[in-house]
Amino acid sequence: MANEPLIEVKDLVVRFPVGSGLKRQYIVPVNHVSFTIAPGEVVALVGESGSGKTTIGRALVRILTPSSGSIHLGGADVTKIRGKALVAYRRQIQMVFQDPYGSLNPVKTVERHMRLPIRKHRQGREGAIGEQIDESLRTVGLTPVSEMRLKFPHELSGGQRQRVAIARALAVKPRVLVADEPISMLDVSIRAEILHLLKQLQQEYSLAYLYITHDLASARYFGDRIMVMYGGQIMEAAPADELVERPRHPYTRLLLAATPGAVHTGPLPETSNRSPNLAEGRVGCPFADRCPHVMAICRTENPPLLEQSAQHQVACHL
Amino acid sequence: MSNHEAILEINDLSVAYGTAKGDVLAVQDLNLRVLPNEIMGLIGESGSGKSTLAYAVMRLLKGSARVVKGSIRILGRDIYAMDKEELRQFRWANLSMVFQSAMNALNPVLTVETQIIDTLLSHRPQLSKSEARDKAYELVDLVRIDRSRITSYPHELSGGMRQRIVIAIAIALEPSLVIMDEPTTALDVVVQRSILDQIKEIQQRAQFSVLFISHDFSLVSQLASRIAIMYAGRVVEVTKARSLMDPEVAHHPYTEGLWRAIPKITGKSVALEGIPGTPPNLLRLPSGCAFHPRCRYAFEPCRTMRPLLQVVEGSEISCHRFVPEEIHHGQ
Repeated sequence: MANEPLIEVKDLVVRFPVGSGLKRQYIVPVNHVSFTIAPGEVVALVGESGSGKTTIGRALVRILTPSSGSIHLGGADVTKIRGKALVAYRRQIQMVFQDPYGSLNPVKTVERHMRLPIRKHRQGREGAIGEQIDESLRTVGLTPVSEMRLKFPHELSGGQRQRVAIARALAVKPRVLVADEPISMLDVSIRAEILHLLKQLQQEYSLAYLYITHDLASARYFGDRIMVMYGGQIMEAAPADELVERPRHPYTRLLLAATPGAVHTGPLPETSNRSPNLAEGRVGCPFADRCPHVMAICRTENPPLLEQSAQHQVACHL
Repeated sequence: MSNHEAILEINDLSVAYGTAKGDVLAVQDLNLRVLPNEIMGLIGESGSGKSTLAYAVMRLLKGSARVVKGSIRILGRDIYAMDKEELRQFRWANLSMVFQSAMNALNPVLTVETQIIDTLLSHRPQLSKSEARDKAYELVDLVRIDRSRITSYPHELSGGMRQRIVIAIAIALEPSLVIMDEPTTALDVVVQRSILDQIKEIQQRAQFSVLFISHDFSLVSQLASRIAIMYAGRVVEVTKARSLMDPEVAHHPYTEGLWRAIPKITGKSVALEGIPGTPPNLLRLPSGCAFHPRCRYAFEPCRTMRPLLQVVEGSEISCHRFVPEEIHHGQ
């Protein structure tokens, strides 16, 4: 994976206003984040609620426009594109959402869900749409196709709905898929099948992923690389097994200790459980309030994300 | 196990929901015992009947749901034989419940302090107001919330703190059994872990039993001593939590499948295997063993005969694989 990155995110900042009038303030859920995704690579973005992981995913597919920083795809700057350029960009990058119950229209059949993205982004003749729908449904394992085409969302199980959402995203043959907690609302016995499907698509179409999750175990299973986020910043990034087996950042260690199934016993390595400060103009490391190893410098200076060993980056003063 | 006096004893319980298409059994012929001072895990996917079971034990079934068969005894007393006042006295003093969404369990217009004190006074009218307040402080200490926060309203507290308050209220009257229905599902992993650690600590100190309902296998296997696994309204296995990590111990094919379907954080990264198919529709349950259409070991009797729970290597499993050959021929 030493070749050119497919996606390059530099110094990404997203800020949202809160309150209005004189009381208007800004929160910065994504604060100077940089990372790359190689072609066909699965990058897992792990964090708790409020860490900014979903906001990064949304900025990446340009549902929202970054406040500053840049996003490049295959060398082209897509940070502020609009109109036709944005439509063309979305042929290359698509998103699958967490909730397969909310992301499909209850009064449309599977076929109609599929028809729109295929027609809008098609590169072939009109007559081929039917075949393309069949092919997409077969790819995600929704068979028999002739039956599935005519079903409404309420006739499908959660897993099947998520397959429809994936088929829809893949209809335009993108190079990158942003998958935001795609399995967290599904039954345990169904989750593994969806992860399998995503993995299989990665291999068959050399699809790259930004896999957003709160679950380190599934990030380890599916991700080639894991980035751990806290308070709008990346705390640590490393190849998946390396990160789980040799965590360096105190926050990664805390997350690992807390994950169900971990061998950790005894009290958790943290000092409080305050949620991170996201306000604009905050200083210091976002984890300083909870960190058991906190030093004076942590409260005044934000540690940069530095390469500690090959491919292992950590943002910590330690 | 029969020489222990069970705290909770469920015998042959069936719970039905009335629907336009007739009664649907969400819980079917279910037997379960929770022993003194144990944390018993109850695992199941959505629609397996685990929450219905919890509501049945609390005698809180609503709408068209009702117990159609069997009995539920807590501390030896049949809760469906009690009259309203007896039930009100019994509930919370002996049996309490922590619901999944702490948000909805607390009253938004009363302070946390008032809610804890109200709970105490309504069951222990002999307590003075200041005694009740002291007890409320003790309770918030127990769940490690700063005493200064006790005058807060629920919306001023984080999700984790609210859930701790709910737990404090649940154990306020020192009940013998606390039912916890996915108490940490809506919370972040770190908060979840610290609450689970506290539940375990308080449980060991105050000596009560917990029926802990969850869909998260790794979590329950760490917290509970025994685990019951539900599928399509029935308990398919009751096993020691430790035995799940041991590849030598026999399990129900569904248990085995679930365990293989979860990504693990420790050890070597091994390939996951899902369970093919989807959980069954209760209106159209498969014949025989409800799991047979998804089971890799299914053979002839599974399609026609319902397996019963029986002891296999220290666990109880309902599966024809573990039934001696001659019984099949005998029937």
